[in-house]
Amino acid sequence: MNKLVKLIITSISAITLALVSFTSSFAKVDGEYIVLGSAISLTGKYSSNGVHTQNGYNMAVDRINKMGGVKVGGKSYKFEIIYYDDESNPKRAAQLAERLIKQDGVHYMLGPYSSGLTKAIAPVTEKYKIPMVEANGASRSLFTKGYKYLFAVLSPANQYLEVAIDLAVEKNGGKPVRIAQAFEQDAFSQDVRLGILDAAKRTGSEIIIDDKLPKELNDMAATLAKVKATKPDVLVVSGHTKGALTAIRQISEMKVDVPMLAMTHCDAAKLSKQHGKNSEYALCASQWHKNLSYKDKFFGTGKKYDKDFKKEFGYAPPYQSAESSAALLVFKDAFERANSFDRDKVRDALKTTEMQTFYGNIKFGPGGQNTAKPMILFQVRCKGDTCENKVVAPTKWASDKFYHPIPKWSERG
Amino acid sequence: MNKVKQKDLILYSGLIILGLAAPFLFSAFKVQLTYLCVLIVLAMTWNLQGGEMGYNSFGNILFYGLGMYLTASVQVGMFFPLAEWTESGGEKTFVHTTAQYFQGIGVGLLVAAIVPTIVAGAIGYAILGLRGHYFAICTLGLGIAAGEIAGGIEIIGAGQGFTTPPFPAEIVDPEARGQFFYFLSFLVLVLAFIFVKYIYGSRFRLILNAIRDNEDKAEAMGIQTMKYKIVGWMCSAFFCGLAGGIMGGLIGYIDSTDVAFDGREMGVFMVLMAILGGKGTLWGPIIGATLFHFFKEGLWTFILGWQYVALGVLIVVIVVYFPEGLMGWLREKYPERFGEVIDDKDRKAQVELK
Repeated sequence: MNKLVKLIITSISAITLALVSFTSSFAKVDGEYIVLGSAISLTGKYSSNGVHTQNGYNMAVDRINKMGGVKVGGKSYKFEIIYYDDESNPKRAAQLAERLIKQDGVHYMLGPYSSGLTKAIAPVTEKYKIPMVEANGASRSLFTKGYKYLFAVLSPANQYLEVAIDLAVEKNGGKPVRIAQAFEQDAFSQDVRLGILDAAKRTGSEIIIDDKLPKELNDMAATLAKVKATKPDVLVVSGHTKGALTAIRQISEMKVDVPMLAMTHCDAAKLSKQHGKNSEYALCASQWHKNLSYKDKFFGTGKKYDKDFKKEFGYAPPYQSAESSAALLVFKDAFERANSFDRDKVRDALKTTEMQTFYGNIKFGPGGQNTAKPMILFQVRCKGDTCENKVVAPTKWASDKFYHPIPKWSERG
Repeated sequence: MNKVKQKDLILYSGLIILGLAAPFLFSAFKVQLTYLCVLIVLAMTWNLQGGEMGYNSFGNILFYGLGMYLTASVQVGMFFPLAEWTESGGEKTFVHTTAQYFQGIGVGLLVAAIVPTIVAGAIGYAILGLRGHYFAICTLGLGIAAGEIAGGIEIIGAGQGFTTPPFPAEIVDPEARGQFFYFLSFLVLVLAFIFVKYIYGSRFRLILNAIRDNEDKAEAMGIQTMKYKIVGWMCSAFFCGLAGGIMGGLIGYIDSTDVAFDGREMGVFMVLMAILGGKGTLWGPIIGATLFHFFKEGLWTFILGWQYVALGVLIVVIVVYFPEGLMGWLREKYPERFGEVIDDKDRKAQVELK
């Protein structure tokens, strides 16, 4: 027993020593670097979108650093990001935010991917008064909590597909439509659902199917069977990347005919590439599209961003990447206007942000959401075997006419 | 005998002093230390079933999640309408005063300890007749089912998740929140340890062991095994509920499947930690949980994206090289330090036999 006690005591003291030596934390500004922190989903159910987000951040960091960096107090600084993998798990994300702030000494945060994880991190950044610019947490309830240090460059989730319902009503000659909807059980998709509920109420439309689907959406055959039987005017599906892929796969397998199919995450799922013609006519909500006429001096136009991103990462940028890149432009702008590294000054500067980026105009509302940028809708259209996303709404940027109704599977080649 | 007790006294008081001083010594690590306390509690109480009773339960996460939701619900529901608080996209903001916050969490934790205990009794009555794999699979299902059900109940936020009350804004010190949750979890850890230690010295443990070793024989000896099995599970549920309640407040956001009924992570971790340290021992789960937590926090960030592969390797290594856990391995190597008397004549006799 004696030796065992000794053993335990020795190991405890060894661990203590290790911990103490480990506590040395970085500074918020390390030499010529401004250190930002971010917990990103590199594994787990959001891993593909997590990587889109990370690529967007990295692309902007490289670009800003190459083009002279951030000028504060007459000196030029470079951005650097410390990443951790949050495993798509809110519990882990909250813990990592704490770790970034307390152990790594990070004073400025970039958001994670998804609303759920942002919801878990926001209380932590708020507690330590750390400004966070996030690009991937769209849930409306994020902006009603009175957070003072949270800034989102994207439009809230409930706006994603509201326009689609309006469009359906318009195509129906102004008469109410019958809506079938299926949403994943997660903060973001449930918020998209709330948007649809609002739109349905406004237009007097009826919701005939309202399904909740499990996380990691791999099967929605039951919902689709109901859709086949009840023949609604619109089918709305939202469940991140997997949801979009599952929906198209099973709709084409089961040959479900529906006049209008509205979804989210089509471009993150690379639908037009992965499912080609099967995904044609799908109507998708997007925060950004390369054809929009915005520009800035770092990335030029959306088209140029698209080209540069493809060159660097080998695939077309989904809007998740674009908005993530925009988050860094916002930070740079705020640092330069604050001309200081004081967190509260940076926060005040963020609050008064009013700028145009390649991704869109950015101006923060009282809750921290971006109020200057509308959502857009695009439709997947194919020519031969190549499919592309064509903007159909709002009319200002529409490059193509909205195709309605979707032809029946029996009539499709 | 007296000497041993004195040594124990030094050890325990040393550990308690270390525990009390830890949040001040390693101020930046408070949250990780809180996690550590909770992990130890989970591993230690899992060990009561998995180690002592021989019933491998994957269902303890049910009580953990239940405790989490209950604490948060009570904390909110005592002062505000719960439905409006969790209403998805709700526009209203409610703020707890300092007194409300602490009263709420106090009552919440009380409920979080009691209700899961009762639930464990009821469920245990129904399913503790199952043995071996059947029990394990059944409890696995319990956790998963609970997660899916919670994801459909609107009043606790459903798929939107449940934001727990923020720490009162009137307490300006940003360290206060971390300290509060650390000491709360440390208190639960100490209570759990005292309780488990007490059980280790009692007849109750011998009965649990008898059930593990041969349940039929134990029954034939006149032990009402069902009764003891249920009580054993209820003890675990009590502490799991408390642990869950603390974690809910600490994380600040409850998601049905990823945070509360997180069988894929917490549910598996508690089993893994107990096995790593050595199940069926008092110190095994504690050492296992500590090592596991250090491994996880220290190593995982260096192998970004590969941490689950590393975890898989760790599990394989544990199972292959330390099937009895670290304590079991030590015990085999140095039996005399565990108070086992080895008869030299016996050993020699065995050697000669070979």
